[in-house]
Amino acid sequence: MCEPKLHIVDDDEAIRDALGWLFQSRNVPVASWPSAEAFLADYDPAMAGCLLLDIRMEGMSGLELFDRLSAMGCRMPVLFLTGHGDVPIAVSALKKGARDFVEKPFNDNDLVDRVIEALAFDAGERARQAGQAGVAARLATLTQRERQVMGLVVAGKLNKVIADELGISMRTVEVHRAHVFEKMGVKTAVELARILAAVG
Amino acid sequence: MTGGAASAAHGLGQRGPVQAMPIVAMALVVLLFGVFLWVLHRSEREEETLTLIKDVLWVEQNLHFQLTSDEEKLQYLAESLGREDTTPVNYSVMARHIVTVNPAIQRVVRLDPQGRPVRSEPPVDDGPALDDAFGPSPRADAFLIARSSGRRAYSAPYRLGAADTAFEIVIPIFRGDQFAGALAGVLSIDALLTHHVPWWFAQRYQLEVIDPYGAVLGTKSRIAMPEPRRSHVVPFDPPGHGLTLVATLHQLSGNLGRNILIAAIFALTVSALWSLWAVRRHIARRIRAEEALRAEHAFRKAMEDSLTVGMRARDLDGRIIYVNPAFCRMVGWSAEELVGAGPVMPYWLPEDLVHTEEVFRAVLAGNAPANGFELRFRRANGERFDALIYEAPLIDAKGRHTGWMGSVLDITERKRAEELARQQQERLQQTARLITMGEMASTLAHELNQPLSAIASYCTGCLNRLQAGSIRPDELATALEKLSGQAKRAGQIIRRIHDFVRKSEPNVAPCCLSEVLEDCVALMEADARQQGVKLVLEIGRGLPAVMADRILLQQVVVNLMRNGIEAMASTRRDRRRLSVTVQAMDGAVLTRIQDRGCGISPENAEKLFSPFFTTKTEGMGMGLNICRSIIEHHQGRLWFEPAADGGTVFLFSLPVLCDPSMTGAADSHDERAADV
Repeated sequence: MCEPKLHIVDDDEAIRDALGWLFQSRNVPVASWPSAEAFLADYDPAMAGCLLLDIRMEGMSGLELFDRLSAMGCRMPVLFLTGHGDVPIAVSALKKGARDFVEKPFNDNDLVDRVIEALAFDAGERARQAGQAGVAARLATLTQRERQVMGLVVAGKLNKVIADELGISMRTVEVHRAHVFEKMGVKTAVELARILAAVG
Repeated sequence: MTGGAASAAHGLGQRGPVQAMPIVAMALVVLLFGVFLWVLHRSEREEETLTLIKDVLWVEQNLHFQLTSDEEKLQYLAESLGREDTTPVNYSVMARHIVTVNPAIQRVVRLDPQGRPVRSEPPVDDGPALDDAFGPSPRADAFLIARSSGRRAYSAPYRLGAADTAFEIVIPIFRGDQFAGALAGVLSIDALLTHHVPWWFAQRYQLEVIDPYGAVLGTKSRIAMPEPRRSHVVPFDPPGHGLTLVATLHQLSGNLGRNILIAAIFALTVSALWSLWAVRRHIARRIRAEEALRAEHAFRKAMEDSLTVGMRARDLDGRIIYVNPAFCRMVGWSAEELVGAGPVMPYWLPEDLVHTEEVFRAVLAGNAPANGFELRFRRANGERFDALIYEAPLIDAKGRHTGWMGSVLDITERKRAEELARQQQERLQQTARLITMGEMASTLAHELNQPLSAIASYCTGCLNRLQAGSIRPDELATALEKLSGQAKRAGQIIRRIHDFVRKSEPNVAPCCLSEVLEDCVALMEADARQQGVKLVLEIGRGLPAVMADRILLQQVVVNLMRNGIEAMASTRRDRRRLSVTVQAMDGAVLTRIQDRGCGISPENAEKLFSPFFTTKTEGMGMGLNICRSIIEHHQGRLWFEPAADGGTVFLFSLPVLCDPSMTGAADSHDERAADV
């Protein structure tokens, strides 16, 4: 897993340099590429963080790069830098799932804030994906009876009702329930329901 | 009406009784004339017959009288023979005398009491004697009658010689009471007729003596006549014995005159008929010609009525004498209202009477432009329209010039279409300019965005670090150097634009402002006319030349004029007037473009020259700004003031060109209306 960072793709060297200087001033890790082709050559699915693409570039445009990355299953949020008159293009990019766009000349700290937000979102998403993989592993550790109990707990049934349905004592239900919470790494039934819903 | 006349009348068809009358009259005249001739002929015949009878009776009487006188002479001789004293010598003398004096009496024969001839005077050898050898002769019969009756008796006729017939008068002779023979006078019928029928009778009639068997015994004036003729028969008695007198009428030459008359009348009739026929043919030709004319007229009328071009004929005084329906439709007045109208015409523009009157007079003077001219007219409902008019002299059938024929085309639609096309073209050009400018602006913005974005980023980065207190001076210096580098980059972009603009620097040359203004007025005429704006150009005297780019100046003037025209959109139509004046004023040439529009509000007045400010829906907001730039480029000044009578006046001054040799010769002062 690569370190999460901001990936800047812009054909204007001054912009790359200035943005680098700007983001470093707010401790945002930055890597930059002079063209879409160069970025694609270096692309690694394990990259994390977010992308800041210039819409207008020599060669492949930012939008095209975005399409390629989407096709390759890249999940990093993408922000576009737009110049004069590119707003309609940026809006169409938003419809395709880009996260945001920023018009030049931009309010710089606002841009930095949006990038930080995007990085956090990405981190959250990654955590969620990682969590989902964990839930599946934990579910596999449950016994048959514990699964039954978990299903009824998630359905919002009280211990007494669960005991009646399964034909076991309330005490036994409480033990199973504690086991389930421990194995699934949750503290409440609500939390349990949330992670199960995330798994689907 | 006779059959012929009827069929003729029928043949004439609808031409009717007028055509048939003369023919009927002619036929009646001929008929009556025929009847008249026939009646005349009949009465003539009757008269002839009467005359014939009368004449024949007269001749018969005459002959009777002759015979009676012959009888008396013979009687006298017979009586003298009865007396004793008559000697044979005496008798011979007397008898010869009788024969000589009376041409009809051929001879006198003395018969004895037995009826035998004793003496004949002239003697028998001299002429044919009655041959007694053959049975009872006519003389013997007559002798017996005379002897027994004791009175004269006539014998039956007998042949005398080869070609004559004779009869005899036998008179008994008594001596005392004693029958002493008889005296026979032989009368030749031929001689009788020859000597006792007068010439005039012979001229008119042929007289024949015919015996009961139809044999002709004597004749007077024998002429062979082929056809049976009228004749009258009276008994010839004495001599009797069934003799008849037959008078036959000659075909008289007196008929010739009448025949000539009839022939003349017939000829006249024929000639009258022929002339009638000729007249009829002539009339038929006339009728055909009239029909052709009517058809032609109808065709022409249909053509005129179907024309979309308005036709208007005027006499030499300019009164309307004819308009076609298209013209009436065009102006909305009926033909009755228009025909007879003279100037001022109802369809003239009340606000433009002077000019219309001028054009009208030019047309009447024969100075109408051959390739047509344009005028604005109004319809009955007050609507204005543009007309293209061609005038041509109206020449009548005798070749006299009687007026003017004008064809009037409503070209409003065409002009509108042209105007629309022009506007679209202009809009297209404007759009093209806009696109070009947009492109340029967009490129420019993009170009400038890059260094500006970089500058902003460096700047913010520095500030962030300064706020965090985590920046070293050398880092800051590096960043600031980079920042200033980007600022330079932006400056270069701006310089590039300047260079680009400088490439299209104005092409300055000495020029005469009056010419520029005239060109502009000519350019704007169509626009102005369409908006009903009267353009007035006034050029001051002794106008000096200026140094200017003609094209750019023209653009400025046209732009200001267009603004002025558009500003008057809500002004009353007859007040729409845009005046362009130019005059020299202490070292400068001042041009004023004054409208009677709605004026400029104070809040707009401040922003009027700023770029991208516009009061028009489709404006770019560059016009006045560019105009001012252009004038300032020429070291001039452009400003505006509220006009005295409402509206706005835009003024610009340009410095005079110092070289007096370049002064324009435009010292004319003309004022013309472009609203034609």
